[in-house]
Amino acid sequence: MEYLIHLAILFAIYAILGVSLNLVVGYTGLLSVTHAAFYGVGAYTTAIFLTKSSVGFFSSLILGITIAAAVSFLIGAVLSKFKGDYYALGTFGFNAIIFAVLLNWQNLTEGPLGIPGISRPELFGINFANNFNFMVLALLFLILVYFTSRFVINSSFGRVLKAIREDETAVGVFGYNTLYFKLVIFVISAAMAAVAGSLFASYITFIDPSSFQLTESMFILAIIILGGLANLRGSILGALFLILLPEILRFVGFPSDIAAQIRQVAYGMILILLMLYRPQGLIGEYKL
Amino acid sequence: MEMFPQLILNSIIAGAVYALVALGFNFIYGVQKFFNLAHGTMAAIGGYAAFYFAKILGLDTYVAIILGVALAGFVGFSLDKFIYLPLRRRKASNMVLLVASLGAMTALQAVIAILFSSRFKTLSGNVDTQKLFTILGGVITQTQLVILLSVALIMIGLVVLFCKTQFGKAIRAISDDEEVARIIGINTNKIIGYVFFIGSAITGFAGILVGFDVGIEPTMGLNLLLKGVIASIVGGVGNIYGGVLGAFLLGFVENFGIWKISGEWKDAIAFALLIVFLIFRPRGIMNK
Repeated sequence: MEYLIHLAILFAIYAILGVSLNLVVGYTGLLSVTHAAFYGVGAYTTAIFLTKSSVGFFSSLILGITIAAAVSFLIGAVLSKFKGDYYALGTFGFNAIIFAVLLNWQNLTEGPLGIPGISRPELFGINFANNFNFMVLALLFLILVYFTSRFVINSSFGRVLKAIREDETAVGVFGYNTLYFKLVIFVISAAMAAVAGSLFASYITFIDPSSFQLTESMFILAIIILGGLANLRGSILGALFLILLPEILRFVGFPSDIAAQIRQVAYGMILILLMLYRPQGLIGEYKL
Repeated sequence: MEMFPQLILNSIIAGAVYALVALGFNFIYGVQKFFNLAHGTMAAIGGYAAFYFAKILGLDTYVAIILGVALAGFVGFSLDKFIYLPLRRRKASNMVLLVASLGAMTALQAVIAILFSSRFKTLSGNVDTQKLFTILGGVITQTQLVILLSVALIMIGLVVLFCKTQFGKAIRAISDDEEVARIIGINTNKIIGYVFFIGSAITGFAGILVGFDVGIEPTMGLNLLLKGVIASIVGGVGNIYGGVLGAFLLGFVENFGIWKISGEWKDAIAFALLIVFLIFRPRGIMNK
């Protein structure tokens, strides 16, 4: 049972990441591979405030969101000028830079050693050190992120995003400032990723920079491509599938270090086969 | 050991390795304009194949190198045949190709890790007995000298192939317009297949050289590739000379960038260079 709760928490965290990334990749058509950077900014903000000051979890969460939004604003302002695969390449660059900052700003982040002893949240007398309570909290955040995202994409703002995805020039001709739209959705998405980061830091109680590398961004991208672009439920489905997949492989009975690699082979093959036979993913509404 | 000459030598050596990867990458990019993320993994394949033939089967080092290069070329060729060619036939977008190559990279990397474990390995017998040369007060190993020479040779070879042969002419035609090239009777898919073989073989060779100089690990490909791509973009993507120029520029910027700060910042500096170029001169130095 403990184990299922653990999986449910991981699922909630990755579903938040998937749903928020889908806003950028699926709805706006910008192939972003830097989501783990904002996930990391959120996680590190929470970790640093919880271990080095008396700020509580929820305040640290807000701070994490704010800092991630500020960082993503600066990054997004640069990225919004790019298109297509150059956009993707630019996001690679920013992920690597944020990772280098987490790794090298040793006074603040402890570098490769990571930050241990992050505390679990407590609110209104409910102690989230209990894993079941934490799961409920994580799922509540997932629901919040899901409905916020749905609100965003169903608004007139969301319709402009989809229009940008189909033809950015045409939208520009109609007088919309597309740079502004691309930037705003990028910041919203990053702020949501920071929520997932805060939850992750507080749940695992230990973080180090290796959780926020380029490969993690690629994993989140795999989630939404598998589930389906421009479909929020698809991202949740993708997260569920890719979180459960290693567990299935575990039951097949590989030793753990081989199992980790076989999981990678499976991720890779899934991406290749999807691109070859079903580029819109399981239930996606948009093809890359 | 003086600092300044050593930094210059280090820059040149780093630049030479990046130049090899950039050459391979640009060569392929010329005929197939997308960011082939699996390209870097060819370096890992070359390196590990050479390791297997030389260290485990005990073949002669030169035979092992040739087999490693050939295997890397063959894998690149197969990727084109089984993944990129079918996608090309379906007129898939660059993004689809990029994601498919991401899948190929993830899977191949993991396969190498399963076969050889993810531990760091080195190809050279014992580093201590390597001959050292002193040039202008900086120290350079025999391996590094070989790297410099082979980069020069390969570049000359590619230029001759590109400018003086029928094959090179066909490549240039495809690079200009694949559709028209096919209409005038060039078997484009066959030529592109060969180009993948040659480009991957060059990068496989780069992997082997890195294996002798530093060492190999399954994930070495992504880092090498990103450096190669940065070099290509800085120099001018798809341009053979541009890639080499960009590679040496990158080598210098990286190594002089860490003159006063920790070496861990190298990657961040490289990506900062990329982003500066993406903003101010996305077509690179050489391209008009």
